[in-house]
Amino acid sequence: MKKRILFVDDERDLLNGLRRALRGQRKEWEMTFVGSGKEALELAESNPFDAIVTDMRMPGMDGAQLLEELVHLQPDIVRIVLSGQSDKEMVMKSVLPAHQYLNKPCDIDHLKNAIIRAFALRELIHDDKLVALISGMESLPSLPSLYLKLVGMLQDSDVTVRAVGEMLAKDLAMTSKVLQLVNSAFFGLGRRITNPVDAASLLGMNVIKGLVLSIGIFSQCDQSKLQSQGFSVDRLWAHSSKVASIAKRIAVAEHAEKSVVEDSMLAGFLHDIGKLILALNLPEILQQLQMASQDGGLAGLHHAEEMALGTTHGGVGAYLLGLWGLPEGVVSAVAFHHDPGALPDAEFSALTAVHVADVLANDDASDGYDFDHDYLQRLGIEDRIEAWRQLALE
Amino acid sequence: MNQVERFARRCERERSARNQAERLLEEKSLELYHANVGLKQLARDLAEKEQRSSSILDAAVDGIVTVDEQGRIDSFNHAAEMIFGCSQKEAIGLDFSLFMESDEMNGGSIGDLSVGVLGNRTMIREINGKRSDETIFPMDLALSETYLGERRLLILVIRDISQRKQAELERVKMELQLRQAQKLEAIGQLAAGIAHEINTPTQFVSDNTSFLQDAFQDIKKLCGFRHRVIEAVEADTLTPELIETAKAVADDIDIDYLHDEIPEAIEQSLEGLRRIKKIVGAMKEFSHPGTEEKSCIDINQAIRSTVEVSRNEWKYFAEMVLELDPALPATPCLPGELNQAILNLIVNAAHAIEDQAEDDSDSLGTITIRTLKRDERVEIKVTDTGCGVSEDISGRIFDPFFTTKQVGKGTGQGLAIAYSSIVDRHGGTIGLESEIGRGTTFTITLPVNMASVKTG
Repeated sequence: MKKRILFVDDERDLLNGLRRALRGQRKEWEMTFVGSGKEALELAESNPFDAIVTDMRMPGMDGAQLLEELVHLQPDIVRIVLSGQSDKEMVMKSVLPAHQYLNKPCDIDHLKNAIIRAFALRELIHDDKLVALISGMESLPSLPSLYLKLVGMLQDSDVTVRAVGEMLAKDLAMTSKVLQLVNSAFFGLGRRITNPVDAASLLGMNVIKGLVLSIGIFSQCDQSKLQSQGFSVDRLWAHSSKVASIAKRIAVAEHAEKSVVEDSMLAGFLHDIGKLILALNLPEILQQLQMASQDGGLAGLHHAEEMALGTTHGGVGAYLLGLWGLPEGVVSAVAFHHDPGALPDAEFSALTAVHVADVLANDDASDGYDFDHDYLQRLGIEDRIEAWRQLALE
Repeated sequence: MNQVERFARRCERERSARNQAERLLEEKSLELYHANVGLKQLARDLAEKEQRSSSILDAAVDGIVTVDEQGRIDSFNHAAEMIFGCSQKEAIGLDFSLFMESDEMNGGSIGDLSVGVLGNRTMIREINGKRSDETIFPMDLALSETYLGERRLLILVIRDISQRKQAELERVKMELQLRQAQKLEAIGQLAAGIAHEINTPTQFVSDNTSFLQDAFQDIKKLCGFRHRVIEAVEADTLTPELIETAKAVADDIDIDYLHDEIPEAIEQSLEGLRRIKKIVGAMKEFSHPGTEEKSCIDINQAIRSTVEVSRNEWKYFAEMVLELDPALPATPCLPGELNQAILNLIVNAAHAIEDQAEDDSDSLGTITIRTLKRDERVEIKVTDTGCGVSEDISGRIFDPFFTTKQVGKGTGQGLAIAYSSIVDRHGGTIGLESEIGRGTTFTITLPVNMASVKTG
């Protein structure tokens, strides 16, 4: 079935240009072009779309308002802003409802790839409800202690942007959100950044303040509620930090390129973000998964995930991070960290580092987590396991 | 009369004369005594008076100096010591011109400055003084004359105005900075808007071009088949299969679509490029680099380019109607300042309409700009259908920093700068008529005649 994509812009000529330039996709996509947010909503109400690409500033309803309404109407829709505005206030409004932000003029292939990639990621997840659930998430909740510390820091005029960046780097939710903002062109940046400290300095103190204190892009998670459902936020954070640090050390030891080292660290930190998403939205399923994993180890977990979700927690996390436009290497490392062999890669990558680090970080618990030996063999690095094990202990 | 009698009479006369003399002496001594007492009192009074005037002199904030007709300093009070950095002892007897910047003297003496000073008539001039450390400073010099007997003395009252001057300079500098800041703010805002106005056509011109690139590949493919068909016809080897394939290719590339769309893509791309060209041209005209002097300009054209560069500020709220009098004469203006003033009025009009439209967001308001010549003046009217200005604020609307807009939306400088620009720098007028809920009209008038314009 053709994917349905809706394009919204108050400029007729611009829509015509997009329609012609995307003509090559006519066999895969059914494209609709409308001139206002009102028309877009009317159409979406009667016939849902898979993705929307909208201008930001339009007479009447602007792009941010349109996306806000669409999130409620149709949470699973892929939401991309294509805007020529650089007005910060305007951009801030779109930070929550938009998955990605592209600047005009945008290379048509770039736009095409962003849409194709979002659709490809969706293949990771077969359950429509789960797709809607993840696509509808505008942000993730943070560890309350970190969140409160950050708010305090932002009210202190002596605090440096670097210190703020380091604070963001400690939190799963904050890290993934700021990286979304700088990797997408929300603030005209659109660069491949994997380090939250760099991200913070690119955004600048004023933008961060605005985002956190007035837009509220971060929130506190209800730790006790999750705790009562048998999910330990603290344990997730501790495990994530550990995997990030081991993954980085492994990548360095393998003389990987700088970008791979950075991807490894970030993907290591975010690899279990799917669990957080599940804990927040489908706690009973996560509980089942944890029990299955206790009983049957990795195989048990996989089986249970397939049964309950039709995907893995890696897939869940990867879908969100992919929608948010995080670098591809990070997204695939998160998606396949339990099953790296599923990808045809034959080279050391962030996926390799995260997979190995995750197994090593779980080493003390005899839960049947093991390396994907075939995969490591294919890469010709199986003999490195002992060295890595030593690295992890350091 | 006997001798005894005569002797006795003489004695009597002498005694009485002596008595008289003694009385006189006593009287005179007494007089002398009294005179002496009076003198002492007078001396005391004098000393007191002297002390009073010198302490008044010394307590005076202004320097008070007297000079004789040769310009030599005769007295020099404490304030003068402080102002010039020179003690009274050193100063007395010196030529006062040593305490003035040499340019001021023009080779003459202080006496020359005093021409026109007569009796109680005082003359005040602002001149540059010189301290003993050679630093030059501005001072107000009040000159008057007095006569001590035949001796004519000039009295110089000197006020050091360097601090006041400094403050004035600071104020001018601050005004300049404020004007600059507002200009920068406006430019920053404009730049973002202009970027958008350029980015949009750039997007569709490049989309259309990449479409044309793809379309050409398709057409090339079709041409290839055409060619093969023609060859086959000529060689008499045409098969139904070949015709079918050629037809299928034509279908696949959707040749009818290309047939319709290619001319349109070209037409719209050219239109996009025209838009880019127009805004870049307007930008150049608007910014008017380096024109700090009045020159005769076409005000209609200035309005058109200002409307063009500010399009992004108003197009979401208003339609723009221009009713420009083609017979408008060239008018002497500072083009940059006039553009800025018109821009400020346009932005203001757009904000007024935006405020008005908040609830009923789908309909656009209207901004109308009219020009016409009235007598020896050019009139520019900027009318909006916005929220209007209430009477209690219309009096303050041109005050610096007066704003009704929320924080972050303007510094309250726009209209103040339009005012100072039109009134102070162009000798024109600016005023408004407004009706709450209906809209506002700002009217600018500018003198057409160069001669009636003070160069700002």
